[in-house]
Amino acid sequence: MGFLLLALTALAGFVILRAPADVVQGVLYKILFVHAPAAFAAYLGFLLTALGGALYLWRNDEKWDRLDVASAEVGLVFCTLNIVTGPIWAKAAWGKPWVWDPRLVVTALLWVTYLAYGLLRSFSEPGARAARFAAVYGIAGVLLIPLNYFAIDLFGGRAQHPENLQRGSLGVGIAGPFLAGTLAMLVAFLYLLMLRLEIQGLRVRRDRVDHENAPEDPA
Amino acid sequence: MNVLRAVLWKDLLSEWRSRDRLPAMLVFALLTVVVLRFSQPGASLAGNPPGAPGLLWVAYVFAAVLGMNRAFALELENEALAGLALVPVDRGWIFLGKAAANLLLLALAQVTTGLFFEILFDVDLLSVAAPFLGVALLGAVGLTAAGTLFAGISVRTRYREVMLPLLLFPLLVPLLVGAVQATAGLLGEGRAGPAALQLLAVYDGVFLIASFLLFEYVLDE
Amino acid sequence: MWHRPRGPDRVSAWAIEAEGLEKRFGPIAALQPLDLSVRAGTSLAVVGPNGAGKTTLLRLLAGLARPSAGRLQVGPADPDRRRRRAGVGYLGHATLLYPALSARENLVFTGRLHGVADPDARAAELLEAHGLTGFGDRRVSGFSRGMAQRVAIARALVHEPPLLLLDEPFTGLDPDAADALAARLAGLHAGGRTVVLVTHGLGRATAFAERVVVLRRGTLAVDMARGDAEPRAFEQTLRATLGPPS
Repeated sequence: MGFLLLALTALAGFVILRAPADVVQGVLYKILFVHAPAAFAAYLGFLLTALGGALYLWRNDEKWDRLDVASAEVGLVFCTLNIVTGPIWAKAAWGKPWVWDPRLVVTALLWVTYLAYGLLRSFSEPGARAARFAAVYGIAGVLLIPLNYFAIDLFGGRAQHPENLQRGSLGVGIAGPFLAGTLAMLVAFLYLLMLRLEIQGLRVRRDRVDHENAPEDPA
Repeated sequence: MNVLRAVLWKDLLSEWRSRDRLPAMLVFALLTVVVLRFSQPGASLAGNPPGAPGLLWVAYVFAAVLGMNRAFALELENEALAGLALVPVDRGWIFLGKAAANLLLLALAQVTTGLFFEILFDVDLLSVAAPFLGVALLGAVGLTAAGTLFAGISVRTRYREVMLPLLLFPLLVPLLVGAVQATAGLLGEGRAGPAALQLLAVYDGVFLIASFLLFEYVLDE
Repeated sequence: MWHRPRGPDRVSAWAIEAEGLEKRFGPIAALQPLDLSVRAGTSLAVVGPNGAGKTTLLRLLAGLARPSAGRLQVGPADPDRRRRRAGVGYLGHATLLYPALSARENLVFTGRLHGVADPDARAAELLEAHGLTGFGDRRVSGFSRGMAQRVAIARALVHEPPLLLLDEPFTGLDPDAADALAARLAGLHAGGRTVVLVTHGLGRATAFAERVVVLRRGTLAVDMARGDAEPRAFEQTLRATLGPPS
C-alpha cells in the first residue's frame, strides 16, 4: 500500500506540475489540487467515524470503535489541511482570508466538531463509556452536515467555489491533475487510516498487558 | 408515554421543591442581557438595532445550557440514574420526559427574558408577541432536544458542566441561524421567513428522533 | 416503538446463564471470562475482596451495562433488553432515591416508570409492608441510613420482579436493622424469587444463601452450595479462600 501511495503521489505531482497556469492566478491556483481532495478525505473520515460509531452501538464490537477513533483522527488531519490551505489561497487570490462560502464554513464547522469529538473522548472514562459517548456524538455530528449547508445558505453565504465539478466549470486541462490529486489524497487517507487502526489495536493490547502485569493489589 | 409523563412530573416536582433551576436560569439570562446591552456602543440605539435578535438568542442559549446541566445533576445523587436506566421501555421516553421539563422551564425563562430585552434594547417584541412565541418555542425545542442528549453525556465526563457547551455549540449553528433570522424577520417585516422556519422545524425533527434513539445508549453504564 | 411493559410472570422466578462473560473498562478487565449458572429460585451470595468485580457482575446481570464479551441470559431468552429490564429489581450501593421527594413519591414514580397498574395503591402497600407507614410523606433527604435502605428495597420491589439483585445492602445498618433486612430477604426468597446478594459479611452470606460464590480479581474462585458441606466447614472454607479480612 505504501508503495502504491508513493507511486501515486509522484504521478500526481508530475501531472499537477504540468497543468497549465491559470490566466488570472498563475501557478497559485494549483493549491486546489490539495485543498479540494483534502476536503473529500475529511468528509470521508467523518462519515466513517459516524458509521463506525453506529456499528459499535449496534453490535457492541470493539473493532468498530477502533475504526471510529482512527478515522476521526485521520479525518481531522485532512480537515486541518483543507482549512489551512483555504485561507492561504483566498488571501493570495482574493485578498481576504475568509469568505462566507458555504463549503468553507461547513467544513470549518466540521473541523470544530472533530475537535469537540476529541475532547469528549479524552474526558470520558476510557473504554466502553468513551466509545459509546463518542459514537453518539459522531452520529449527531454527521447529521449536522446537511443541516449546516442549509443554514449557511440561509445565512447568506456567497458561493465562491465552483458550483459543480463537471468538466466545464474548472477550465480546460484541469480535470486530469484534479483526478490524480484526488486519487492520491484518498489513497493517502486510506493508508494513514490503516496505520492508525493498527496503532490503535496495538495500544489496546499494550494497555491490557501493562495492566495485567501490574503488581497485584493487596487484597 | 406514561414514562414520559412520570419523568416530567418528577422533574417539575423536584424543581418546585428545590426551586434552584428556574431562578438561576432567569437571573443568568437577565444578567447576560445586561452585559450584552453594555457591549453596545452607546446609550441610544437606532430603533430595532440589527444585531438585537442574535443577542437575544445568545441569552437564551446560555440560559438553556445552565438549566440542562442541572437537570442531570439531580440524577447523579444516590445513583438515581440507574433507576431510570432500568425502565422496561425504550429509554428514549426518559429523554423526552426530561427534555419536556427542560423545555417548560426554558420557555418560562424565554418569556421573562424577552420582556426584559424589549425594554433594554428598545425592540418591539410585544407587537409580534404571538408569532414570536412560536419562533421562540421552535427554537427552544431544538435547544432542549440537542441539549438534553448531550447533557446526559456530559454529566458523566470528567469536566461535567463544562462539557455541555463544548459539545452543543458546534452543532447549534443551524438552530441559531434559523431562530435569529426568523426573529429578525418578525421584527423587521412582521413575518418570519418560511425558509428559517423550515430550517428550525427540520432541526427539531432531526434531533428529537436522533436523541430518542440514541438515548438508549447514553444511559448504559 | 412503545409497548406496554409486560409484567413478569409472578409465579416463575428467573434463572441466570452466563458463559465466558467479560467486562473491560479500557485496559482494566473487571471480569475475566466467567461462567455462572444459577437455577431459578436460588438464593445466591457473591462475596469477595474489594475490586473483585462483584458490583460489575451485578450491573451486568441487571442490564445496566453490556458485557464486553461472552453470553449472558437473564430470565427467558429474549433479545429485547427492555423486557429483560422488566424482571429485575436492583439495589445498588446508593439508594437510587430522589432526596427531594417523599418516600411515597419515590415509590409511585418507580411504579409509573415500570407500568404498574395502580402505583399509589402499590406504594401504600409497600410502605406498610416495610414498616414505613407513618413516614411515607416525609422527604427522603431526612431519613436515616436504615430507613432509606428500607425505602430503597421497597423501590426495588415495586414491580414485583422475579429476580432481585442487591449490592451490599447491609452496609451502614445497625445490627437490628440488618437482622430485619435479612429476615425480609429470606421472606422474599421463600416467596419464589431468585435473589442475588453481594455482600462483605460472610456470616450473612452463609446464613442467607443456598449457594455462595467467591469472586477474586474478576474470576470465580469458589462455588459452593449449602448441601456440599456442613455449615461450619462451609464457612471455614470460604474464610480460607478469602484470606484475611479486607
